[in-house]
Amino acid sequence: MNARFLNLGGTRRLPAIVLVARREVRMRLRSRVFVGGTIVMTVLVVVGIVAASLLAGRTTPVRVGFSGGSQALERSFTASAAALGENVTVSDIADVDAGRAQVTAGTLDVLVIGSATAPTAVAKDAIPSNVESALSLAAEAARLSDAGLSPAAVTSAMTLVPVQLLQPPNPKDNENLFASLALGILLWIALGQYGNMVAQGVVEEKATRIMEILLATIPPSRLLAGKVIGIGLVGLLQLTIVGAAALVAVHVTNVAAIPALGVASILGDIFWFLLGFLFYATAYAAVASLVSRQEEVQGAVAPISIFQIAGYLLMYAALPNPSGPLATVCSLLPPFAPILMAVRMADSDVPFWQVGLAVALIVASIVGLTWLAGRIYANAAMRLGARVRFMEAFRG
Amino acid sequence: MSTERSLEIRGISKRYGETVAVQDLSFDVHAGELFGFVGRNGAGKTTTMRIVLGVLAPDAGEVRWDGRPLDLAARRRIGYMPEERGLYPKMRLAEQLAYLGELHGMAGSEARVSALRWLDRFGLKDRANDDLQALSLGNQQRVQLAAALVFGPDILVLDEPFAGLDPVAVDVMADVLRERADVGVPVIFSSHELELVERVCDRVGIIDRGRMVACGTVDELRAGGQERRWIDVPGAPDDWEAGVPGVRLVQADGTRRLFELDPGVDDQALLQAALNTGPVREFERVEPTLGEIFRTVIEEEAA
Repeated sequence: MNARFLNLGGTRRLPAIVLVARREVRMRLRSRVFVGGTIVMTVLVVVGIVAASLLAGRTTPVRVGFSGGSQALERSFTASAAALGENVTVSDIADVDAGRAQVTAGTLDVLVIGSATAPTAVAKDAIPSNVESALSLAAEAARLSDAGLSPAAVTSAMTLVPVQLLQPPNPKDNENLFASLALGILLWIALGQYGNMVAQGVVEEKATRIMEILLATIPPSRLLAGKVIGIGLVGLLQLTIVGAAALVAVHVTNVAAIPALGVASILGDIFWFLLGFLFYATAYAAVASLVSRQEEVQGAVAPISIFQIAGYLLMYAALPNPSGPLATVCSLLPPFAPILMAVRMADSDVPFWQVGLAVALIVASIVGLTWLAGRIYANAAMRLGARVRFMEAFRG
Repeated sequence: MSTERSLEIRGISKRYGETVAVQDLSFDVHAGELFGFVGRNGAGKTTTMRIVLGVLAPDAGEVRWDGRPLDLAARRRIGYMPEERGLYPKMRLAEQLAYLGELHGMAGSEARVSALRWLDRFGLKDRANDDLQALSLGNQQRVQLAAALVFGPDILVLDEPFAGLDPVAVDVMADVLRERADVGVPVIFSSHELELVERVCDRVGIIDRGRMVACGTVDELRAGGQERRWIDVPGAPDDWEAGVPGVRLVQADGTRRLFELDPGVDDQALLQAALNTGPVREFERVEPTLGEIFRTVIEEEAA
């Protein structure tokens, strides 16, 4: 934070809402929770991206050992495996029993025994289907040339059927899914953290009794709005720092081919954080204003936390099929949209009308919630002591 | 500043369900006046103060300042010390006071200067960058008063400002309140320490079960009360005063006796009756303390 921002309005009189928001920003930025949280989140995200880039570059070859007569198959097996897109290494195994022991121990994936025309594959618990196919092809070729076919005739007989894919899969699909999921989890953590911060802040003012002094000076609606705006700005700043670190890490490690880690996707995440924060923070503030002690906050916000947890679980349910009916419908509903729509947008192309509808619905809900929260807060803020009942606060 | 200005509380009432907290309460506090507000626990002092501040809406009645209903802008100019003390425990003193100053309409730099000035006045200047929670309770209370004063309020409303202070702090607090009153600020404060109220206040209001039962200077309240005399007549029989009309024995201490005289009764008749029984060693007029007035008024109300 630079000095000019902190000294904003040195000789001017500022509106109360700005003063309240500025206090929140100052106090939170100074806290260990913010500094530590930002460092931890940044480190986790950068480490995750670096680890993902290392994993993506590495595919372990299948180790296949040949013993006895089957060793004649090694060359044609390697060629067939390559044609099927399987990465294999072959080796000679002198002793069949030693070879079996290696398979059991996991230092060898497949042991081929028997003759070249009638080989048997020995594996521990499973054999990659491409390896099995390549071995069958190699044995078939051996039998054909055994039967007297010329090498050229054998090659032509063994030609694979060409396949045309109308929608070839993106080889990065899995990586993209994980990256989207990671973004969703980060967003979920941020929404929970900053929503709770608003709830704690509201109760702090009741618990420390400063509420009475504040409300003698400014109307409750402005106190509430200033608090939500101030904490929201802090959250925005934290996500921007983490997002910027992620973009730098992506750039450096060259995993930029993953669309979920692109600029558009990260900006989308921040956009949905803002909407989700406004939605949840106003709701949290309203229910938190009903209680007077910090110990009661968790109980008070539980009905809202349930929606957040449901959104988290729905993310796992919806992500495997991001354009399916479950994902589509839930990502339009305001309580779930911030996470589900952000994840869908990161993972796949979402029709524009769906994004527009989700934004319209959540903005409308935020307007309604702000009115409701303002009313509840204004009526409950001054009632210290026993928990205020919701309907009581609503009626005023 | 005109000394004509006054804070007028006009017929305010407030009920909580079946409980009447304040009933048709009216009084004025003039500019430059220290007004002491006394009453038993639950008499309605805090409710009245909250209504003046606007943090509580009355069921009936209104509060006026300078001839007009007290609006939000005017309420922002009231320095308030609530009964339930409250400031941010984890905020630095100077920063906290400056923040409250700005909320009450000061510019940032002005508020910071004023915050330091008040911390200095209460001997807390070297703690300016400490968090509030690092201070002793007595010092926290000084900061609480500084919070009510930091923006140069037009009116001061203080709920139990002396509770929990050591004698030196009480004197500092009383000096500050007098000083504010002298520059034309009406000051209302409540207290249970009647001796202090008697010493410090220009006028006193006694509230009981939501009603103002007595209001005026301490002398005015005394005038409404009953005259008392201590007499010491060592050789007299026990019921020597029986023949004097309108006289009641209140207390006996050895041969010394305290009598209460009904309004209009001549104390010389009592003295004459005493002299008739023997030598009088002592004859003293007793001024009732505010505490005695308070008890008398409350008892009369109960009867």
